[in-house]
Amino acid sequence: MNIANNLAFVVFPYLMLTVFVVGHIYRYVTDSLGWNARSSEFLEKKQLFYGATIFHWGILLTLLGHAGGLLIPQKVFDAVGINGDTHTMIAYYTGWLAGGAAFAGSVLLLIRRVTRRRIKATSLVNDYVTLIGLVIVTGLGFYNVVFGHFYVLDSVAPWIRSIVTFLPKPELMLGVPLSYKVHIVSALALLGFSPFSRLVHIWSAPFTYFPRRWILFRRSVADL
Amino acid sequence: MKIKAQMAMVLNLDKCIGCHTCSIPCKNVWTNRKGAEYMWFNNVETKPGIGYPQKWENQTIHNGGWTLKNGKLRLKAGERLHKFANIFHNPDLPTVEQYYEPWTYDYDKLISSPNKRYQPSIRPKSQITGDPIRIKWGPNWEDDLAGVSETGIHDVNFARLDHAVYLSFKHVFLFYLPRLCEHCLNPACVASCPSGALYKREEDGIVLVDQERCRGWRYCVSGCPYKKVYFNWNTGRSEKCIFCYPRIEAGMPTLCAFSCVGRIRYVGVVLYDADKIHAAASSDPPASLYRAHLDILLDPDDPEVARAANAQGISQNFIDAARKSPVFKLAKTWELALPLHPEFRTLPMVWYIPPLSPIAEHVEPTEQVDAIDRLRIPVAYLANLLTAGDETQIRRVLKRLIALRRYMRSIRVENSLDEDVLQQAGLTPQTAREMYQLLAIAKYEERFVVPTRAVGDGMQTFRDQGACGFS
Ligand code: HEM
Ligand code: SF4
Repeated sequence: MNIANNLAFVVFPYLMLTVFVVGHIYRYVTDSLGWNARSSEFLEKKQLFYGATIFHWGILLTLLGHAGGLLIPQKVFDAVGINGDTHTMIAYYTGWLAGGAAFAGSVLLLIRRVTRRRIKATSLVNDYVTLIGLVIVTGLGFYNVVFGHFYVLDSVAPWIRSIVTFLPKPELMLGVPLSYKVHIVSALALLGFSPFSRLVHIWSAPFTYFPRRWILFRRSVADL
Repeated sequence: MKIKAQMAMVLNLDKCIGCHTCSIPCKNVWTNRKGAEYMWFNNVETKPGIGYPQKWENQTIHNGGWTLKNGKLRLKAGERLHKFANIFHNPDLPTVEQYYEPWTYDYDKLISSPNKRYQPSIRPKSQITGDPIRIKWGPNWEDDLAGVSETGIHDVNFARLDHAVYLSFKHVFLFYLPRLCEHCLNPACVASCPSGALYKREEDGIVLVDQERCRGWRYCVSGCPYKKVYFNWNTGRSEKCIFCYPRIEAGMPTLCAFSCVGRIRYVGVVLYDADKIHAAASSDPPASLYRAHLDILLDPDDPEVARAANAQGISQNFIDAARKSPVFKLAKTWELALPLHPEFRTLPMVWYIPPLSPIAEHVEPTEQVDAIDRLRIPVAYLANLLTAGDETQIRRVLKRLIALRRYMRSIRVENSLDEDVLQQAGLTPQTAREMYQLLAIAKYEERFVVPTRAVGDGMQTFRDQGACGFS
């Protein structure tokens, strides 16, 4: 049991994180022309509106919640007067909202992909893997919010911090319910897959648009 | 004064016969690929009509181009924050139906069909899904007014006109409008791109999409009021007319201009003052945009301009080409060519000479109704198309064109010299001769004055690959 636990919560996370980092560099260098969101709005716009909007706002808030709630130690929250129970309650309600939106949105996107003729015809296996992966990850996450009621702040949260600080403590995960474990492992798998999918668009979110001037010129003949 | 050079084009609508010859080499060379089947960097539309994509001119639907908000120049579709909030689903993006679903045929069925009682026939099938489809629109769907009795009422150029009258058989009119990217001085596509993938080339102002930096946020497609940036559904990136820059760099005209059998197109360089772009594009009221646009074009024969251009690093062959530029003559010196929909405020650099049309016999000439009012194409329609509604500019151009015809006719047919008619149009015999030469006779070298690209040591074709608009 301990070996499996170590494999799942030490070896696998580092493997996936390595693939994630190296994969993105590799993809950026070798496939700069494929580095985009592969938008399909041009082919189908109405259903995309519900799917894409609900999904993206949901997933972005969810990721924000994960980063804020799991990476920042509970001590910090305690210091500002948010104790573990309050924290869990906030996570519960925002989880319902944001996680629910991410799950519902990804299901809508998947439905759209298999029912709209033009979208189906132009879908790659990669698109299905991405969306099914997201349905599974967000679905399990949402399931955990609604039915899990497991206190993560002294188990999963410190485990994640132990991973990102390179001092892995897999034993923290021993008592965690299976549905949480599967959520974590599938999320890590998706993380490892993402550099090879359209998910690379996340890292190109165009924040440089804010400071830049409107009209851009580029010189094509250098050093005349 | 910040001087920049711009490749530009003039199209003489008076001579366009609507043959689509321009579109074909463009299509064959640039957009004959998967995902690009539906793209026509150059297409020829019949006016009146709603065009391709449908109703592209109607910015209350498409939200393209710029607008003035409290006197300030703003992207009509909304600015940075708005774009961020809607990036997952761009509300203004047209969909494939508004262009047309690309199709092909199983031609083989015609040959491989067994001997049957009836001839084999083939049905169009979608190039996206492979399914049989009904063709419902296309880049020249309204050719020669096909279906315009139904679509014509949506043509925005009928503003302030009774479209019902002009769609009736007795009063109907038509002319052709070949369209390509305008390579604007104030391009809304460039301003709309959150990634900064679109840019104007410093040397010649050609607007390109850097294919390696395009992330498919698709705001350029909706931002361009002329709908001349296209979304490639296969690659997930945008593409647009590249003004055939590989030819331009070699001193050759674009394919559309080169192949034009009517010889309606002129290609040349103009110099302009980049410091004045913002002010010019912010001119109010919209009818003043045309003048403001002309005012930023600089006269290359002015020694002051030439010296400054030289000092600012504009190469001598560009300055020389600007001096011989047919575009500068037609647009600025003679003021015959007008910008398409200046009210979009992008300062477009493809200019159009408005077409003359037959005299309508059913309109009686009176004191107030002169020859120009009796032309079949209503002046107001052309004004809505080319001068943001300013009819005086259209009248002035048409008057010149008519005077030129009268004058040449008096010489060549009537064997008398009618210089009065020239005077009334504000022309001298000398200018009239030059205009006649350029509009009617001009050969290749006069219609196309294209300087070759300077090949500096810094030319890095490998680095430029992909970034230069085509991959
Ligand atoms: C950071 C900001 C993000 C931006 C600006 C963004 C933008 C976009 C855009 C423009 C599309 C194309 C929609 C279309 O027109 O078809 C898209 C699709 C998609 N995005 Fe994002 N995205 C972001 C974050 C994310 C995140 C965090 C995820 C998931 C972890 C995600 C997953 C997806 C998926 C799966 C699709 C494909 C939807 C489909 O067509 O089925 N995105 N995104
Ligand atoms: S016409 Fe060309 S330069 Fe102007 S906004 Fe459209 S794509 Fe950009």
